[in-house]
Amino acid sequence: MNLTTLKVANSELTVHYARAGHGAPLLFLHGMLGLVAFDAAFERLAAHFDVIAPTAPGWGPAKDDLPLMDEGPLDLTLHHCDLLDTLGLTRVNVAGAGIGAWMAAELAAIAPSRVARLVLVNPLGLWLDNVKNDDPFAVHPGMPSESLFSSPASRKQYIFGGRDKVDAHVDELLSLRASAKFLWPLPDTGIKKRLMRIKAPTLIVTSEHDRVVPAPYGPAWQSAIAHAALTVLPGAGHLPEIEQPDAFARVVGDFIRNAAVAAVA
Amino acid sequence: MKFHWFNLMPWPYLPDDFTEKNRSVWVDVDSRLFDARKANRVYNDYLDLLEFAEDQGFDGLGINEHHQNAYGLMPSPQLMAATLARRTREASILLLGQSLALYDPPTRVAEEMAMIDCMSGARLISGFPVGSSMDDNYACGVNPATLREKYLEAHALVKRAWADPDVFAWNGKHYKLRYVNLWPRPIQTPPPIWIPGGGSVETWDFCAEHHYNYSYLSFQGYVRGAQLMQGFWQRMEALGQEFNPYQAAFAQQICVAETDAEAQRLYEKHARYFFSRCLHVYPGFADAPGYRTEATIRAGLTSQMAGQSSALNQAAALSWPEMIERGFLIAGSVDSVCEQMERLATTLKCGHLVCLLHFGDMPTELCRYSTELFARRVIPKVRHIWNDYEDHWSPRPMPREDRAVPRTVSTGAANARPAAVHAAGSRA
Repeated sequence: MNLTTLKVANSELTVHYARAGHGAPLLFLHGMLGLVAFDAAFERLAAHFDVIAPTAPGWGPAKDDLPLMDEGPLDLTLHHCDLLDTLGLTRVNVAGAGIGAWMAAELAAIAPSRVARLVLVNPLGLWLDNVKNDDPFAVHPGMPSESLFSSPASRKQYIFGGRDKVDAHVDELLSLRASAKFLWPLPDTGIKKRLMRIKAPTLIVTSEHDRVVPAPYGPAWQSAIAHAALTVLPGAGHLPEIEQPDAFARVVGDFIRNAAVAAVA
Repeated sequence: MKFHWFNLMPWPYLPDDFTEKNRSVWVDVDSRLFDARKANRVYNDYLDLLEFAEDQGFDGLGINEHHQNAYGLMPSPQLMAATLARRTREASILLLGQSLALYDPPTRVAEEMAMIDCMSGARLISGFPVGSSMDDNYACGVNPATLREKYLEAHALVKRAWADPDVFAWNGKHYKLRYVNLWPRPIQTPPPIWIPGGGSVETWDFCAEHHYNYSYLSFQGYVRGAQLMQGFWQRMEALGQEFNPYQAAFAQQICVAETDAEAQRLYEKHARYFFSRCLHVYPGFADAPGYRTEATIRAGLTSQMAGQSSALNQAAALSWPEMIERGFLIAGSVDSVCEQMERLATTLKCGHLVCLLHFGDMPTELCRYSTELFARRVIPKVRHIWNDYEDHWSPRPMPREDRAVPRTVSTGAANARPAAVHAAGSRA
């Protein structure tokens, strides 16, 4: 996955993004760890779509842009609108994972005309008092993203994967820093009251073994969005886009290709 | 040198199996271990010790701020400072300190500090730490990504509120106040400001820029502290600051007895209580994502790979002689303690020593014994160190004859109260 850079219109920001494939445009908004180890899923999606995968301000090569983003949805959503404008895209399919699913839902709620179909994989942003979950921001600093992966070995494989250890670990910590900025101290972003604005046919995907977004969040998201279906990925943790690229690309791709557009005015 | 008697105010009743049954002494520590009726005595004993330290001639009485923490029972150091302002006469009130970013509006901190300065006749030292991740991010919910921004803005606002005699508007990023107009105002303009820190270069630069005292408050002792303080002094020199030992303070656990053997017999179990139970902090609360800067993260990873442990409770596994040899404790007979103190002073080059003479579950009487030996027989031998330097970081109290004298508290007052008051009190 090669990243190219683009100066975003009406903004101080430069975006770093990967783009490949042909077909309907699909904007993918990454999860808490940025685009680390997303290559396999990206390739599979690019077999069917024109996939655009930007790094959000605050993550990866854009790590130093974090102070430019206020907490809350406005700055991030305007950034994604500006990015689509810069790319000349008026209306796209959007898929997001984890914190990226929250950003995708905000885009679809605040700018409904820009989103054709929407897939939210293990979305963060709602809080259910009675559901126990792991705090992804209170983990031993030696293995900070551990609660996202299905096993400690899996974390080592995908975070380090042949990279310089210090660099990989710093990237991991900085990605969590960016995530925490928008989700501190608990992931209630206030999106609940905006979800009724979403017009796009939507698929909610949860993972069977996600410790951060446990199963009861699926129905909570589904019931708050007008046209939403729900599916559960067996065996997956919070990061199916990294750990299960085949299953991830299949559920996302099938829904976007088959969703009934006619149902939405 | 100057000597400050400091008490963290630990809860002394953590059970023997505390570390096995609890993951952390801080943030999510089991509140059922707290007993409010026992706390009545705990607080009063600890405040008695602080007052006793003034009688023993300590230069300052130290208190600090922690939240949801079983080794630090002072969520509000201002409350402690208020009672010390009334019940002590001469010592500095070393409020070390108040985490500015936790208070909105931060002018509340400026107000309370001003009240204490007025009540005490200008004996306040005002400490402004960024605060720990456990306190700021986990217990109080402040976003780690904006913590430092808020801290710096709150600091600038407090300083201006103390200094500017006119009503002003504050249009900051995190705080917006149409009318800032401090009432009351501090006697000292401003009170000396000390910055407790854990070793980040950003904090050193901040101290240099504002000419503040830097207080290194780790529990790892003076041997480990020497390397860090060397870095601090080098940075000060690089920034063109003239060397003055009083620009730095260091916190150290200390215990004194008649002989080395007696020190071990009297204090070892209380030291172990402190290092093992009190410093049993879940590592997942040590460092919220974004609490440290990228540069500090990189430096930390490099030193960890070089084999340096960063665990808070690393002294728990050491033998008594190792605790002393590695500086976690200054302990032993008067002569042994004097020798260790001189080593501390010459390696750290600190003019202010924050003496942790109470630690863990040490009983009050034992702490008085150690404190008195230290005050009467150690301090006189080491006080001369750094005599050639002027201390610009201590309070400038009002002349004694100008200061108000609070009413003396009579211990028999309760018996002397009229019967009607008695009856009302017993109903409540």
